Amino acid sequence: MPYTLFVSDLHLCPDRPAINRIFFDFLRGPAAQAEALYILGDLFEYWAGDDDDDPFGARVLAALRGLAGRGVALYLMHGNRDFLIGKVCAEKTGANLIEDPTLTELYGTPTLLMHGDTLCTDDLEYQAFRLQVRNLNFQREFLAQPLAERKKKIEIMRAKSEATKKIKPEATMDVTVETVEAQLRNHGYPRLIHGHTHRPALHEHQVDGKRCERWVLADWYTSGSYLRCDAQGCRVVKL
Amino acid sequence: MVNLHTTHGTITLELDAAKAPLTVENFLNYVKNGHFDNTIFHRVIDGFMIQGGGFEPGMRQKPTGAQIKNEADNKLANGNYTIAMARTSDPHSATAQFFINVGKNDFLNYTASSPQGWGYCVFGKVTAGTGVVDKIKGVKTGTRAGHQDVPVEDVVLQKAEEA
Repeated sequence: MPYTLFVSDLHLCPDRPAINRIFFDFLRGPAAQAEALYILGDLFEYWAGDDDDDPFGARVLAALRGLAGRGVALYLMHGNRDFLIGKVCAEKTGANLIEDPTLTELYGTPTLLMHGDTLCTDDLEYQAFRLQVRNLNFQREFLAQPLAERKKKIEIMRAKSEATKKIKPEATMDVTVETVEAQLRNHGYPRLIHGHTHRPALHEHQVDGKRCERWVLADWYTSGSYLRCDAQGCRVVKL
Repeated sequence: MVNLHTTHGTITLELDAAKAPLTVENFLNYVKNGHFDNTIFHRVIDGFMIQGGGFEPGMRQKPTGAQIKNEADNKLANGNYTIAMARTSDPHSATAQFFINVGKNDFLNYTASSPQGWGYCVFGKVTAGTGVVDKIKGVKTGTRAGHQDVPVEDVVLQKAEEA
């Protein structure tokens, strides 16, 4: 039975070799037999620009290229860590860069695909940050700086972000339900698949009398997993 | 002045009511109604900060009062041994949890009245017992009940009182 796979929040970087092994095995295994693989953001721990010649990044892109070469349709969505992935990178991998959100049909079921960060509207600090960094002028100026400078700035931003998370009274923020429901309403009550919150689960939303599934993908910090969807529905598979 | 009597010794705080009137009043209310008594420093990160005011031993979260306005535009810096209010990403969401900086944390300072720029409000400093703070910051920590950087052995704030 044909199937499509979804992953997000892999945060791949050289520091987690065990996870990297799982990822490459995944590409050679279940992903190689899929009709399509969607990576819904934060593939990389961070992405400083398509001119980054770091060998680790190159290895990941080459592996994705290999997958695309086997006839698997590859789709990449920006996350909050790797929104600087551009056309050059997409070409290198043979992937299609898709918008956030993207509405598609999955074996007859309308499905809305998002990274998930735009659903966390109560996280005011993040939304202000996002507004700034998703601005194309800002990105153009940022990418004009030397690669080494960009990497340094990103490192500082990440350290600050991690540190301030640790002063917050609650655990990491979750989606805002009203925002989720508005997206479901605006897109015709589809099934929703997203990541970002690192709170893997299946939720059910009743919106205007219609039942909508919301699948939240797991991160790959300590183990790998993916969502497999076919004509019978979706299920989580742990690696 | 407030004394925090802990399992590791007493920390004396001098609060700056002139520069952070609402924050100091809020903090003193929690001191006076015994909220801080028998709470733990539930998050300790050496070189960064020690945080408390929110949990009883066993990581049982205590209910808090209303949120207060952020007064970090008082320009007091998050320097070593200063005390500041913890909050969510909503700039004006501080209630009871506080942290004592154990480093020069300038990146926490106010820069602008925007969601990203508000920073964390400093409302006092440690005037006696910095050695106690240093002992606390060095304790062994681990993950407990889904929270990271939790002291393996409880560091308890037994009693907080106005001096």
